[in-house]
Amino acid sequence: MDVAWSPHDAWLASCSVDNTVVIWNAVKFPEILATLRGHSGLVKGLTWDPVGKYIASQADDRSLKVWRTLDWQLETSITKPFDECGGTTHVLRLSWSPDGHYLVSAHAMNNSGPTAQIIEREGWKTNMDFVGHRKAVTVVKFNPKIFKKKQKNGSSAKPSCPYCCCAVGSKDRSLSVWLTCLKRPLVVIHELFDKSIMDISWTLNGLGILVCSMDGSVAFLDFSQDELGDPLSEEEKSRIHQSTYGKSLAIMTEAQLSTAVIENPEMLKYQRRQQQQQLDQKSASARETSSAASVAGVVNGESLEDIRKNLLKKQVETRTADGRRRITPLCIAQLDTGDFSTAFFNSIPLSGSLAGTMLSSHSNPQLLPLDSSTPNSFGASKPSTEPVATTGARPAGDTVSKDSVNATSTPAALSPSVLTTPSKIEPMKAFDSRFTERSKATPGAPSLTSVTPTAVERLKEQNLVKELRPRDLLESSSDSDEKVPVAKPSSLSKRKLELEVETVEKKKKGRPRKDSRLMPVSLSVQSPAALTAEKDAVCLSVPAPALKLPMPGPQRAFTLQVSSDPSMYIEVENEVTAVGGVKLSRLKCNREGKEWETVLTSRILTAAGSCDVVCVACEKRMLSVFSACGRRLLPPILLPSPISTLHCTGSYVMALTAAATLSVWDVHRQVVVVKEESLHSILAGSDMTVSQILLTQHGIPVMNLSDGKAYCFNPSLSTWNLVSDKQDSLAQCADFRSSLPPQDAMLCSGPLAIVQGRASTSGRQAARLFSVPHVVQQETTLAYLENQVAAALTLQSSHEYRHWLLLYARYLVNEGSAEEGAAEGAAAGHRAESPLSAPLYRVSGAARHPEGQVACPGLPWLQQGQGHTLAADNAHGHLSPRQTTEGRGDTGRRWAVLCQRWPNSLGGLPPYPGPVAPSEGGSSARHSSLPPGPLCGAGVGALPCCPGVSEALPGLPFPARARGGH
Amino acid sequence: MAKVSVLNVAVLENPSPFHSPFRFEISFECNEALADDLEWKIIYVGSAESEEFDQILDSVLVGPVPAGRHMFIFQADAPNPSLIPETDAVGVTVVLITCTYHGQEFIRVGYYVNNEYPSPELRENPPLKPDFSQLQRNILASNPRVTRFHINWDNNMDRLEAIENQDPALGCGLPFSCAPIKGLGLPGCIPGLLPENSMDCI
Repeated sequence: MDVAWSPHDAWLASCSVDNTVVIWNAVKFPEILATLRGHSGLVKGLTWDPVGKYIASQADDRSLKVWRTLDWQLETSITKPFDECGGTTHVLRLSWSPDGHYLVSAHAMNNSGPTAQIIEREGWKTNMDFVGHRKAVTVVKFNPKIFKKKQKNGSSAKPSCPYCCCAVGSKDRSLSVWLTCLKRPLVVIHELFDKSIMDISWTLNGLGILVCSMDGSVAFLDFSQDELGDPLSEEEKSRIHQSTYGKSLAIMTEAQLSTAVIENPEMLKYQRRQQQQQLDQKSASARETSSAASVAGVVNGESLEDIRKNLLKKQVETRTADGRRRITPLCIAQLDTGDFSTAFFNSIPLSGSLAGTMLSSHSNPQLLPLDSSTPNSFGASKPSTEPVATTGARPAGDTVSKDSVNATSTPAALSPSVLTTPSKIEPMKAFDSRFTERSKATPGAPSLTSVTPTAVERLKEQNLVKELRPRDLLESSSDSDEKVPVAKPSSLSKRKLELEVETVEKKKKGRPRKDSRLMPVSLSVQSPAALTAEKDAVCLSVPAPALKLPMPGPQRAFTLQVSSDPSMYIEVENEVTAVGGVKLSRLKCNREGKEWETVLTSRILTAAGSCDVVCVACEKRMLSVFSACGRRLLPPILLPSPISTLHCTGSYVMALTAAATLSVWDVHRQVVVVKEESLHSILAGSDMTVSQILLTQHGIPVMNLSDGKAYCFNPSLSTWNLVSDKQDSLAQCADFRSSLPPQDAMLCSGPLAIVQGRASTSGRQAARLFSVPHVVQQETTLAYLENQVAAALTLQSSHEYRHWLLLYARYLVNEGSAEEGAAEGAAAGHRAESPLSAPLYRVSGAARHPEGQVACPGLPWLQQGQGHTLAADNAHGHLSPRQTTEGRGDTGRRWAVLCQRWPNSLGGLPPYPGPVAPSEGGSSARHSSLPPGPLCGAGVGALPCCPGVSEALPGLPFPARARGGH
Repeated sequence: MAKVSVLNVAVLENPSPFHSPFRFEISFECNEALADDLEWKIIYVGSAESEEFDQILDSVLVGPVPAGRHMFIFQADAPNPSLIPETDAVGVTVVLITCTYHGQEFIRVGYYVNNEYPSPELRENPPLKPDFSQLQRNILASNPRVTRFHINWDNNMDRLEAIENQDPALGCGLPFSCAPIKGLGLPGCIPGLLPENSMDCI
């Protein structure tokens, strides 16, 4: 029903419909530290004491219980305010104030009016409550920040006491926000939603709230510092904690270390180790849980098995007025009980789909009985009656291929028959349409459909398996020809072929792909032993180097979706025509209905394509390249060793050979981009594998390795550059969220995003909660952002370069103003300066570049991508005099530079609101928006850190307007 | 969002003789109380060639449906052999379980069904006229095909409007979208189903 992270992030508490609260050790999932029993109703809310001493839970049993984290025993149970409450709410999310003084419950009653009870930490007194909501309070959430009143230029008499801010959401669809220093709510918003409020979350900076409702909508409210006050920094907050409770975050455990901020190299090492352990444990636990989950769930004290046994007896069946049967379903669980569904699934043998099956897409539906070859590939007894002379399927080779299939986790049972012998499928097609098309018998509103292709390739039912045995199949096909669709005529020669193909290893699958430009391909390094066996398939034997990448085996046929828009796919059929004993392979390409095809003399191992080129790698190390229209662009290229992976993006073709060398060519310009570069340097470790390969639009190859690192090859420097590291501690400590632009933050996509995966927020949480010294945090953030900028630059990804540069700039501006506020004077200024100077020059250097042209002469792609012009460089023309004449401090000047550079050279940015002199056009106008004097103060403040962040969501009453009492 | 999602369909008494009734144990989850009953149907496809030979084995109303998880057993008589084309009696066909709300179909679960003679003699020399009493029905329970349709779950007025609005769209080729489907299937095998998760492997 609710989960909550402990303040030191090492524990996770969850509460459930089974009346318990479980404390999980987040460092070693799924270890359970404690199970808190005592509630006699559904536990619907949880909150941790900000200093980590207690955890409080509220349940349907009309009680709120506070538990000690020291011994996990009950500290107190508060029932009085809840005596009149009914279990009418979905959730009861209570909250503890960030200073720890108050605990505020959800739904409580006072004189038959719904309230949110305030419980004091000292003696758990319940003297106060938040009154005003007309229906039960579902959610209470304290702002993570502690505030203090804005000092008004010496006018305020006494130093005001810090206070907290609390948002209360209710079933009456309204939201109120309270400050603990005020008697009345700061703001109340009525009828914010159509249905009850379900949850509230504050942004980290404490100035925004996200509120979600049962009606499916989420509202975001934005406050200004004038309204809430000045948030205290994390240091001040922990100082308050320390002064009040002694040692803050009292529980120092081993676990805590792992999430603590890294202050020295030893700690980093320790953290790495722990992460590794954690990973190991996770994979182990995944296995455990899957087996554990098969225990049948228990509902209402009765096991599911019992329910099922008696279901038919229990089932209430009535007749409606028009004589139809009406069944009253048996309720097996109430709503919101999402937990035991897995157990439920597993207890019922619905889908016997096995782990290692390949699931076909909708386009090639498979029916088991048709797929006569599959049982064999999974190791069912090989039919001895079959002539296997041509296959060369030595038992050894067979096992090897099986092993390697497992190793690459590629379920290899691609059935060749599906794609190549449509005649066999046709009768089933008629059925397949029935699964998706609405029949006359069941009319319904026409709408979108979606399909699960759950073709399973092995069957457990004994008799069907029998049916599948080729021997049976052959017999039945000769005897009862038409009667059994299962046994559609399959000639002996065909079977032979199929068997042959199937015994040879099949790994490559044609699967629809989403992104045509950046096609992720996964492969892994195999042991040399396995590969020597495989090599038999290849005519030329190469000296086996230490490093070997897996190679695709020849398949009888496969298709490959190159892109979906325009729809383009490649079909390959090997050994399709036999002219006088010569076997030819056919390559067919279909682009938006237009088709071309060609034949090749040797078997095609793998194919790749883009909108510009199609290339295929054949046996005998041949690589053929065709234009998108089917013209052969080059005579076959002879590769140095057999192909492992082939890739196309735009006019770039990338070939990764089995000997782990990488080549990239631009086939249109006929130049080599990367020439037989070895992967040895990055695949140093023995157990390292390549998990993903990308080729960017600019022909930059990127290798994602299994250890979480990603390298791109920089053709101009001929170096492998590290562009991403999952274990990068910088990424985990960097906190630039306050500088994220509001909307496009998550929309930034490109090679870097693909390689790095979606921004993980895990570490930032830790950094925040651990009240890192601000300096450290700032430096790590800056370093991280610089890394990102550089990586985007190397990948020549203009969008991402822009995104990160923007973020970087925003961060600089934000931090600059914060420092001014902190009034730490010269020291702060100095601190800011040192990390800044280098990167900034680097950035502007890239943009200015030698040739005197401003807009990145070395980087034509930047222009290309953004469509901005050289005019951007005028900014520099304006700048240089300014730099010389006006430079006050180093920092100030450079910020001005940066600010000006955004709109110009990066293009497409919203202009800054604020004082802009209207008369002077272009960049000079922007100059004037910066005050001539000391820049850091008002000037920086005038720049919005996040343009557009204050935009209210449509339909959301703006807080200011709705302000007022109840 | 669909208010009702089918969690599981278990095929009971499988395999069974041709003439024995179909029994499915259906469990579903409803995230909001439904004003009206759900209507479930079992359709037996007599022939792949034409929908003419479809038989609605049974249709049943299920209700009232409050929010929560529910299960029931849906039992329906075997298909009428006289309505099945003789050439299609033996072999593979399909049985569909559909559910409609307000007359709109929102889910269809299909299973392949194999009708065959259990005895080897009959299998090798099948009688010219199918002997239904000897036939055994085997539902391929491990391989359900689930199709979901978006429907309007709100009141009737809205629905009528929706249909009116959608009709023209149907005429000019409705855009079909494949959404990943939760529900049926072992949780463990679902990632393999979703194309976006799939990586091409060598």
